[in-house]
Amino acid sequence: MIFSISHTTRYYYNAPVSFCHNIGTIRPRVSQGQELLSFDLKISPNPTDISERSDFFGNTITRFSLSEEHKELHVTSTSIIKREYTEVKESFLSDACKKITLSEALFALKTTNAQIIEAKQFVLESVLIRNTTDTIKQYAEVSFRPNRSVFDAAYELMQRIYTDFDFVSGFTTVSTPLSEVMKERKGVCQDFAQIAIACIRAIGLPARYISGYIETLPPPGKKKLIGADASHAWFAIFIPGFGWVDFDPTNNQIPENQHVVVGWGRDYYDVPPLKGVVFGSGTSKLKVAVDIRPAAEAAALNISL
Amino acid sequence: MNKTIGLNAKQYFSDNTYDEMFTPEMNVKQDWKAISDHIDVMGSKELAAGQKDIDWMLSENGVTYNVYNDPKGLNRPWNLNIIPFVVEQKEWSRIGEGLKQRAHLLDLVLKDIYGKRELIKNGIIPYEVVYGHRGFLRQCNQIEYKTDKLLSIYAADLSRGPDGRMWVVNDRTQAPSGMGYALENRSTAGRVLSNVYRDINVRKLSGFFHDFNQLLIKASPKQIETPNIIILTPGPHNETYFEHAYLASFLGYPLVRGNDLVVRNGFLWMKSLKGLKRIDVVLRRVDDAFMDPLELREDSHLGVAGLLDVVRKQNVTIINPIGSGVIENSGLIPFMPAIAKYFLGEELLLPQIATWWCGQEKEMEYVLSNLHKYVVKRIDRSNRESIFFGEFMNSDEKKVLQQRIRREPYLYVAQEKINFSTVPNFTNGQLEPRNMVCRAFAIAKDNAYEVMPGGLVRVAPERGNIRVSNQRGGTSKDFCIISDQPEPEVTKLSWDQNSKYALSGLNDLPSHTAENLYWAGRYVGRSLVICRFLRMTLKQLVKAKQDEHILENEKLQILLKGLTQITSTFPGFVGTEEEEAVTDVRKELEAVIFDKNKIGSLANTMMMFNHSYYAIRNLWSSDMWRVFEIIQKSWKTMDKKKVSGLSYNEIIKFLDQTITRLIAFMGLVEESILVNQGLLLYFIGLNLEQGILTISKCRALMTVQAEEPVAYEILEALLNSHESLNIYRYSYRSYITTENVLRLIVLDPYYGRSITYVISRIQKDVKKLPLSTTSDELTMYEKYIFEAFSKLRLTSAEELTEVDEDNVVFRKNLAVLLKDLSNLLFQTSQAISNTYFNHTQKQKQLTSQSFPL
Repeated sequence: MIFSISHTTRYYYNAPVSFCHNIGTIRPRVSQGQELLSFDLKISPNPTDISERSDFFGNTITRFSLSEEHKELHVTSTSIIKREYTEVKESFLSDACKKITLSEALFALKTTNAQIIEAKQFVLESVLIRNTTDTIKQYAEVSFRPNRSVFDAAYELMQRIYTDFDFVSGFTTVSTPLSEVMKERKGVCQDFAQIAIACIRAIGLPARYISGYIETLPPPGKKKLIGADASHAWFAIFIPGFGWVDFDPTNNQIPENQHVVVGWGRDYYDVPPLKGVVFGSGTSKLKVAVDIRPAAEAAALNISL
Repeated sequence: MNKTIGLNAKQYFSDNTYDEMFTPEMNVKQDWKAISDHIDVMGSKELAAGQKDIDWMLSENGVTYNVYNDPKGLNRPWNLNIIPFVVEQKEWSRIGEGLKQRAHLLDLVLKDIYGKRELIKNGIIPYEVVYGHRGFLRQCNQIEYKTDKLLSIYAADLSRGPDGRMWVVNDRTQAPSGMGYALENRSTAGRVLSNVYRDINVRKLSGFFHDFNQLLIKASPKQIETPNIIILTPGPHNETYFEHAYLASFLGYPLVRGNDLVVRNGFLWMKSLKGLKRIDVVLRRVDDAFMDPLELREDSHLGVAGLLDVVRKQNVTIINPIGSGVIENSGLIPFMPAIAKYFLGEELLLPQIATWWCGQEKEMEYVLSNLHKYVVKRIDRSNRESIFFGEFMNSDEKKVLQQRIRREPYLYVAQEKINFSTVPNFTNGQLEPRNMVCRAFAIAKDNAYEVMPGGLVRVAPERGNIRVSNQRGGTSKDFCIISDQPEPEVTKLSWDQNSKYALSGLNDLPSHTAENLYWAGRYVGRSLVICRFLRMTLKQLVKAKQDEHILENEKLQILLKGLTQITSTFPGFVGTEEEEAVTDVRKELEAVIFDKNKIGSLANTMMMFNHSYYAIRNLWSSDMWRVFEIIQKSWKTMDKKKVSGLSYNEIIKFLDQTITRLIAFMGLVEESILVNQGLLLYFIGLNLEQGILTISKCRALMTVQAEEPVAYEILEALLNSHESLNIYRYSYRSYITTENVLRLIVLDPYYGRSITYVISRIQKDVKKLPLSTTSDELTMYEKYIFEAFSKLRLTSAEELTEVDEDNVVFRKNLAVLLKDLSNLLFQTSQAISNTYFNHTQKQKQLTSQSFPL
């Protein structure tokens, strides 16, 4: 499947900004089952300098500065992605993955080969997932039991979050504590991903946060609106002896071709979208638009957000 | 037995502690014999006198240590006890070797953590000790540096173990504090005990600080002779701000805050009066997480957005590098012996405090069942909220802690209680044992480390107290390394003058410093004018007839209204559209003088004056400090209760004192700071303020109509408050007339207190500002001040005295002129601020999120 993704962020300032520095995780990462065929970044006004670097987790971080006085900042990235995830997804359903029990997994984590050490950092608390309460641990323990398959437990955890939590946008912000999300059982995709991660870590297994996009399909018979898609987030669990397996608790499914990965880290903090420090006196308003559709269709529409 | 102090073992030793000076039998230990002899000779009287000298010098130099949330307020005085702490050269060399080894090891650990991470890969340290530590900044991963050592400055807290050896208790690696206090302690104690120090051969600190300066110079990413070096401070509220300012003036580098700096085009720049100046080396006193609000803590106002990327590009050197907080890590302690073997094939030379890391199951279980015996700490926190003393915890508290440890065991260590050694402290005429801890410093020099021959010794606030900390109000000691041989005379170390930050004058003045000087000038000017006006008004009040109601006295009414106008403390005696004028004269006067929360009041102005002066204290001389402190102290004693008991005459006396001290202070400012250091900005501020207030006074007193003799008395009062009565009499030898008063106070081009003179002075001064006109068009501020000057020169006393026939506005010409002048001076001030101080250009987050790192 070849997708064209265009992602535009616009900042509007009520007073001129003389200078700004920005960073963001913008370029989608090449990963299992996903290739980046082309990538284009347009910034207006023109940045004075721009650079990319690979961060601690292997994501690409873009940074740029503007020194032209401006009242609006537009950043548009256009990526052409080849996503072939069906085989990867099928491998999750193999015995090699499904047979590993929790107690086997925890035992295997005590060894110190390079892959295990690399994965184990995702067991520890992180900037946004810390001071995990007993409620979360108890919630996790309903699914995770010593002699049960880790995959099955994680699958069930995903299902339970999907059922127990309501998708309510605007109820949480990036800094709403997990305990509150847990208590209110409301939130958006990043909250659900982080709840799942907190649960898995409470059990003692590594889990990471994945930030990306998902293609939404219009109701049958209707035309898809331009710019109606959104950034998305889900999680992956590390099963020692097999590897990373990802789950999307917002849509109650194992990600497939409609999911496009941008980057991953311990939680949202590690893979922030565009952020910045501006020099000016005013306040700002933010607008984001994302459009994902098959590349051929996108080319025909000549989308500009 | 120590003769003079006359103590016996029973009195001195309360329990089985190790004392630095005395054996349990009260014999003086070998290394302390020399100093002990001197203590004997001096006797308690001379010691007390010496202590008094020390206290006086410290307070005169304004040596302080800020304590957060302290009811006594900021700037608690620093304490130094007259009895130094001495260590013999041979012993110190041994300890020094251990410190060098530890600094070397921690440098390798730091490089490894942000580089290959072999220690983790090879199982030398558990991954949690690094990955679980909040100071491990993933943003700093794989950054390459040009300096040979990453850890340029290393500090260790040492404490004497029961075996008599010095043990390492803590490692300090982000931005270690204490070197400046150590230097200040030496400079103070060294003056009071100069003969003693010479006799016992105290090693000097100057060589170490010379090398420290060289370290900063060589750290520059570009090998140039005169790199631009700055000291980055979090600001005057930081606990060790005194030290930042002290080091800045000692080393001769600008002291700046985050908002003085910007990142542009891949380089770090300091905002100076002339524009941007490139910075090569930053000696920072801001903690890791706060250094870059773009990549690190987003709510930080202490750092510079984009700084980390400048570091990645190797265009600036930060000392110590951002990220070095990860080795302030008590979780590393149990693994240090293995690290020493791994990197160097050596044993650790210095013993360390016994530490159990709870990330290991066996250790955790042991700690959990023996909590009462130990001190539990988080591996990445050393603040007191994260330290738990097992023996003082009740069972509920223990339970909570046990749960926390079980949940995240890798975050905790348990450590043995420290058996502090004691050291004699001179208190109330005798020697008293106090627990002590000392901080030692090592700096990178060439390919190795050099240890300071001394350090900072802190002792507990009272006998028997085991917690030694400045935050808890202890005292300190000079740390002397002594020997039986005099120190070999080294050729006098010349401070390499070229290498100092090129003091090329006003152009390079940090704009923040410039702004503070400008406001310092304005506030001191305002304080003085208000004081004098108040004094004059109170004198008139005292003269008023007892039985007369003050507000019915026309003259007093005009003066009181004038007071409200000059201080802008409306409604006051004038009233506003919404609020009526006050009727309780005494109450309002008290508020205008003493209420520091009332904006515009004298006390409020004095407070603002204190703030702006305190923020630039690195520019001060000690004489300035003394006067400043005296003014401060006298105002501090004026609480509400005391004020209400004062008669008007007593208040006048108080104002007299304040005026005298302010004038002394102003004189000192002029002779202690160079024009190029920013005195020019101070003068511009001072003259602008005096101009503005003189105009305001004339508006209040000369554009109101009054009958004789009141009109005459008002003119006299005006001259009086302006300290110009004598000059008037000398110049005019006549009855006081409006016309002549206008000539003297407003129009005289030669009289230093006239508006015309002050404005011509401002005109001259602003010309010297770096961005002033060199071509044919004046800058905005030059235009405003030129216009003000012209208006004054184009009018005459006759014109201004004129009274219109219809008399809708009394002395309309004068009123219009004064109003215009007032606006022009205000615009001048605005234009100077906009050009040089950049108020609006503070860094702000695009989206406001804040995550504690």
